[in-house]
Amino acid sequence: MSLDVLTIITITPIFTGLILLLMPQILPKEISSNLVKVTRNISMGIALGIFVIATMLFFGFIGDIDWTNIMQGNYVLKNDPFSLISSIGVQWKVGTDALSFPMIWLTTLLIPISMLVEWDAKRGHLFHPLLLIMEGALLGVFVSLDLFVFYVFWELTLIPMFLLILVWGGNDRKYAAMKFFIYTFTASVFMLIGILIMYFHTNPISGLGSMTGHHFDLVEMVAQENLIPSEGLRHFVWILLLVGFATKMPSVPVHTWLPDAHVQAPTAGSMLLAGVMLKMGAYGFLRIAVTLFPESTIVFIPLLIFLGMASLVYGAWVCMGQTNLKRMVAYSSVSHMGLIFLGIATMQPLGIAGALFMMFAHGIISPLLFAVAGAFKHHYHTLEIGSMRGIAHHSPYLSGHMMLGWMASLGLPLMAGFVAEVAILIAFWMEFGWLVMLPALTLVITATYYLTSMQRTIFESDDPHHGILPDTLNGEQPRDITWHENTGMFILGLLTILFGIFPFIFWDMMSSWSTGFVTETLVEAMQNKDTWNSNIDWLMEVLK
Amino acid sequence: MNSLNDIPLDILIPEVIMTIGMLMMIVIPNLGDAKIRLPLTRTHIPVLIGGTRFSLVSNPVIPSIIAIITFASASLMSLVMLLENKTATAPPIIEINQFTSLFSMIFTFALLLTSISAFYRLPSKSDAKIPNDKDTTASKNSKITILMNNRRQVDFYILLLMVGLGMCLVAKSTHLFMLFVCLELASLSSYVLVGFHKESQIGGEAGTKYFIVGSVASAIGIYGMSLLYLWNGNLEIASLTNAWQNMDSLDPFAGIGMGLMLVAFGFKVGAAPFHLATPDAYSGASSPVAGLLATASKAMGFVAMMRILLIITMPESGEEAYWMFALAIISVITMTWGNLAALTSDNPKRMLAYSSVAHAGYMMAALSAIGTGLGDFESNTLILTAIIFHLTILVLFKFGAFMVLTLIENEGSSHTISGLNGLVRRDPIIALSMFIFMLSLAGVPPLSGFLSKLLMINGIINLSAGTGSITSVAVFTWITSVNMIFWLAIAIVINSAISLFYYLRIGLIMFFEDPITDDPLDRAIYLRLTIVLCALLTLLCGIGPLSESLLGIVNEAAQSFLLVR
Repeated sequence: MSLDVLTIITITPIFTGLILLLMPQILPKEISSNLVKVTRNISMGIALGIFVIATMLFFGFIGDIDWTNIMQGNYVLKNDPFSLISSIGVQWKVGTDALSFPMIWLTTLLIPISMLVEWDAKRGHLFHPLLLIMEGALLGVFVSLDLFVFYVFWELTLIPMFLLILVWGGNDRKYAAMKFFIYTFTASVFMLIGILIMYFHTNPISGLGSMTGHHFDLVEMVAQENLIPSEGLRHFVWILLLVGFATKMPSVPVHTWLPDAHVQAPTAGSMLLAGVMLKMGAYGFLRIAVTLFPESTIVFIPLLIFLGMASLVYGAWVCMGQTNLKRMVAYSSVSHMGLIFLGIATMQPLGIAGALFMMFAHGIISPLLFAVAGAFKHHYHTLEIGSMRGIAHHSPYLSGHMMLGWMASLGLPLMAGFVAEVAILIAFWMEFGWLVMLPALTLVITATYYLTSMQRTIFESDDPHHGILPDTLNGEQPRDITWHENTGMFILGLLTILFGIFPFIFWDMMSSWSTGFVTETLVEAMQNKDTWNSNIDWLMEVLK
Repeated sequence: MNSLNDIPLDILIPEVIMTIGMLMMIVIPNLGDAKIRLPLTRTHIPVLIGGTRFSLVSNPVIPSIIAIITFASASLMSLVMLLENKTATAPPIIEINQFTSLFSMIFTFALLLTSISAFYRLPSKSDAKIPNDKDTTASKNSKITILMNNRRQVDFYILLLMVGLGMCLVAKSTHLFMLFVCLELASLSSYVLVGFHKESQIGGEAGTKYFIVGSVASAIGIYGMSLLYLWNGNLEIASLTNAWQNMDSLDPFAGIGMGLMLVAFGFKVGAAPFHLATPDAYSGASSPVAGLLATASKAMGFVAMMRILLIITMPESGEEAYWMFALAIISVITMTWGNLAALTSDNPKRMLAYSSVAHAGYMMAALSAIGTGLGDFESNTLILTAIIFHLTILVLFKFGAFMVLTLIENEGSSHTISGLNGLVRRDPIIALSMFIFMLSLAGVPPLSGFLSKLLMINGIINLSAGTGSITSVAVFTWITSVNMIFWLAIAIVINSAISLFYYLRIGLIMFFEDPITDDPLDRAIYLRLTIVLCALLTLLCGIGPLSESLLGIVNEAAQSFLLVR
């Protein structure tokens, strides 16, 4: 049982986080009162170390992996599986591929940035270790190839996030935290039933499941021919899984926990919630539901399109009426997650690659938006969009980041979000023709609400030199953002532009993976669909 | 026919230890320098009982120490017997196998925890003073309380030992009469324990209520047993099983008799609609006793229930047991009622009482899945493993929660939830442990409560998911074709979601309300250590090697139970 790199980057933050959390309780009072600085430096060091490891993995310094050539069904950086609860067939089995690696890299990136943005958080001796535990739990979701362990990590992410909202949240934090926990937990127990039904249809493997004769190994489940014989049951399981994943994503009509959680969560919590936790839903949907039950996915494509369209249009429409900055960004997340469903529904390599890139791009843009909103709250003590005007005068850096983030989110070319939107829309057009008008026109709504609020907060002012300051400042002069907020936002903004101009950094591996995914997994299931084959190569070349 | 003398005592080691403990409890505190004068002489012979007590044994702490040592060694011996796979029978009344050893370990361990917490809940002081005229009313009262507590140490622990004796023998008995007598031994002692604090009105009321309802339930059970005797003429479980299997159609005496016995056991486990006295009893009793009722007493009820349901009345594989439908309905009502009632209760002990009602519902749902007769030996064992595993680890986290309440109760404020306010600021470790217990009760991974709930749902789905039609192509046709037991899994899941609300509320209150006082909690070192140990075990039994080996033990116990048939 030798430890491999994925196990190390998953386990290290959890253990160090727990130790750092317990340290103030064990040490005597005189020492523990000075612990905040030490704790946050250690946390930051570990988070940065893990980020460096993930980056080195990507560039091939560790492991020497050719990321663009991972076929679907193959995993790299696999470990030597060992059993955790062998009597019911649970084992520690990790691995990654082009579907999960961008998410892993994103997680390792966002944790140090959110630590940096909330460098001065109150009760820092608890805040930063909690973020570390969060990192371990999120990485565990993305690396584990055993559904039991996957589920455990899936639920484990709830606890640090629950505490983050509860301890560092806004005024209405109790309600938001409870709603968040109960909503997502309820949804995921339905997913658990789906997983258990699959579990009982697995063939026995020697050495696993001595008591039950079944196992939770995802790779073996995918390899097993005809996992669930009854088609009706297959659809039922697919729907159970969808309930869990769609609630996490979140998709209309189960999205209502998201705005509350976001508005009440601290900045770092919102950043992680929007940046990574929402992607867990899309990731799980692709990794489990679509991979195991491609036929059911094809049967339910109309449902997916309906959910995607509803989220996209409803989210954007509701955004127009929001006066709360964070609530607006939260609903825009709902809207963008709808695009991911549309991308998957195309069942085309381009659409799925677009969905993957959307997951990644939204994972760097929305944390930027939430960091901006958090800084706004921090320095202006309000989130109301109309309550002040002309902040470009008072906080030039803040308004710069705000503009960049909003522009990226509305899909401006040369920004990361644009690549994903275009890919999804092209694939959608190829598959469903003029139906594409609806999502395309929704992007106009997106532009409308962003531009309106931009005009109302950043620029418009009766007095060009002073602007209107909100009442919550009580007449004080607002300051611009602090250096650590500025640095965090600057990195995120830089990456937004970087991945807009050079999307191929991740796009290559995503597109080759999704081509393999479609040909390997979906091609049998979609023999009556041949439109995707002809134009696809040409379009891929164009996008490269 | 065997006589009692034929029973080898080495198969009853925990019971023997407890009996010795009981004798010691009576003898040791009474040792003194009493002498009798031999008639017609001047020689005085010391008889050691009575007179002025020796200073060593006059310490009022002695009974609790004896109890703790007794339960610890009984629990340890049960564990040794369990690991040795000791099996023996003393027909017709007693049988020892892994199942019985596991349960006597559960019972004695719960009793050990009860005595450790009672050590602080019912404190004894060696330097108690007699009140005199100079005292104010308050100091007089406190002195009287101390004296009373000192006086009743022996009563409390002797009752605990009786409960332990009764419970351990319930697990081992293979004769319905024996089973019932031992059940009554444990029950009657626990009625007294509930009303033990007779100076508080609520305690006396709870004890009386619990006694009345409990004795009605027992009376109904005994009536059922007499019907069974009328039917079979013999109350040995093996003979009843045999007669039941050879019965052509359901004999009314047998059916009604079994049903009435289930009422008695349903009261013990807290199944709706016989659960109505449970919340009152729990909230009136002191926390250690309430913890005992919620864990060991419930486990005892389940053992008796399993003997009736899974051994006697279980038909051959493939047939549906006659109680299946009724039990399934009752289980859904029980879990839903328990959870909904827990949502609205402001008293943490009442909340935990309702939550234990809900947990009884989950376990009964799993039992009724076995009753469908769909499963073979392996899948039935799997479900039974889940139930026994749940009963085992329940001692850790349910009792853990009651131990935390014991700490709070010493300040006199455990009847409202505000006693837990801001616990994290007063004592972070205890608050964290309580949070772990709550999450485990709610079934959040990776804690052990999740594993047991998962195994239960797992077992139900294992039996039922295959019954849906294989040829159905649409979701709806599959849903209509599946055995209704499948929906029990969904009911458990929905109920877990409801229950999350009130478990999390405890966490919320501990973390965010302002504490009523800033005084640190009672020091209670051993109780604290036990709480932390329980929290650790709750975590370790959820995932990893410890859970693996515990599951293995429980699985063997379940097999040994089912193999009897």
